[in-house]
Amino acid sequence: MTDRDFITKLNSLQKTAPDQAWLKSNRELLLTQISNSGAENLSIWKTLVINFFSLAKASVRPAYALGIFALVLIMGSLFGNQVFSNVKPNDSLYIARIISEKAKLNTILNSDSRDKLAAQFATQHAQEISAVLADPKFNNEQNKNQVASLTVSFNQEISTAKNQLSRLTVATTTDNSVVSIADNSKDNKGLSVATNPLGQTPNYITTSSAISTSTKKGGENIKGEGQTATSSSAGGATSTLLKADTSNSDTAKILDQAQKLFDQKDYDQAFNKLKEADQFINAAN
Amino acid sequence: MAANIVKKFKDKQTLSKLKSHDKEAFIAVYDNHVAEIYRFVYFKIGRKEEANDLTSMIFLKAWNHIQNNSLEDAKTLRALLYKVARNSIVDYYRETGSKLRVTSSLDDEDNRIEVVDEGINPQDKLDREADLELIKSKLPLLKEEYRDVVIMKFINDLTLEEIAEISGKNKGNVRVLLHRALSALKELVEGSEKV
Repeated sequence: MTDRDFITKLNSLQKTAPDQAWLKSNRELLLTQISNSGAENLSIWKTLVINFFSLAKASVRPAYALGIFALVLIMGSLFGNQVFSNVKPNDSLYIARIISEKAKLNTILNSDSRDKLAAQFATQHAQEISAVLADPKFNNEQNKNQVASLTVSFNQEISTAKNQLSRLTVATTTDNSVVSIADNSKDNKGLSVATNPLGQTPNYITTSSAISTSTKKGGENIKGEGQTATSSSAGGATSTLLKADTSNSDTAKILDQAQKLFDQKDYDQAFNKLKEADQFINAAN
Repeated sequence: MAANIVKKFKDKQTLSKLKSHDKEAFIAVYDNHVAEIYRFVYFKIGRKEEANDLTSMIFLKAWNHIQNNSLEDAKTLRALLYKVARNSIVDYYRETGSKLRVTSSLDDEDNRIEVVDEGINPQDKLDREADLELIKSKLPLLKEEYRDVVIMKFINDLTLEEIAEISGKNKGNVRVLLHRALSALKELVEGSEKV
């Protein structure tokens, strides 16, 4: 008999099994005994906590722990605000929503996009506060403290939204002066002096010698096309920025109107105005 | 690697649930491990009725150990059950006073082991059962530590790491022990066949 045959025969002993009737009766007996010593069925929350900590313990190696931490952070910042998006300002989980929104804002590198999103979040908060206060079941004597604190929050959110919009306006105005450089005519030496449309002092002086040199080499026709292209694209950008500028100031006006309506306790109308403002900000995005 | 983490996770999860007095976790552990613990006990002590009683007691003791945190050194649930089983068997030997009675009982016609075989013809079944009976009759003649490793590795399919943890030896020692145990058992079986 080879070792392999011998081991195979030993493995066959795995089929040795206890009596099924005994297994069943013993199972019941043990269950009764442990129930008497305080065994119970776990709640869902306790099971979830156990699962979380078991996972953490199982992945105790630093690389896994780091991976899980990074994953939680990324998922939290990407989807956290979506998870809490239905939470209302008078809910206890509202703070979680604010934190997840802040986390999301911090993941955006572009300052313009960040300001726009911050304005949008603030507008949505104000909108939700209006909706909550419009509900007579909540807005009553019993909840007067909460109503007062929500009113303060509303004013803060409106002022945050307006601040973010004004920052956006400042940013677009600055961009406007940069674009206007390309829009101005050049002198014969290839120098271009910026004068913005508002008649303010020029912010930037730049040279177009590089462009002039390359276009001259290519011939008159090319130069002509290049100039046309530059001035037309710059003109397009200016008009877009001017539109964005107007849109932001319009939104700020709508926010003012919403605040007035809110002060007059016309929460439904304030809600509608804020919805309009939200749409404006969305369209600007 | 991932399978290892899942296994580790499940083990930690079950242990934590047991520590939180979870009835369902205990029943799951019982269902998953009762057969192997029974086999371990049965091949160690050789008597069906006593193996039943001891197996039942082992699960109850394991539950109490988990509740009292008195077996902290066991890294896995399986290791914990085997440690409790080994200690219980030692206690059993101490109480009965002798192993002589045990060694003869595996040959006892009244206590034949039920081996579930499916899909083989009657002659093969008879041959196999004869071989198995011969191996079973020789198992009790092995040294205690040889018998432990043979049962754990070849009958209950434990890994070297698990056997090392349960027996408190390193993997190299367990490998050497297994080799020697297998040679000794084979020698006993072949010696008997020649006679």
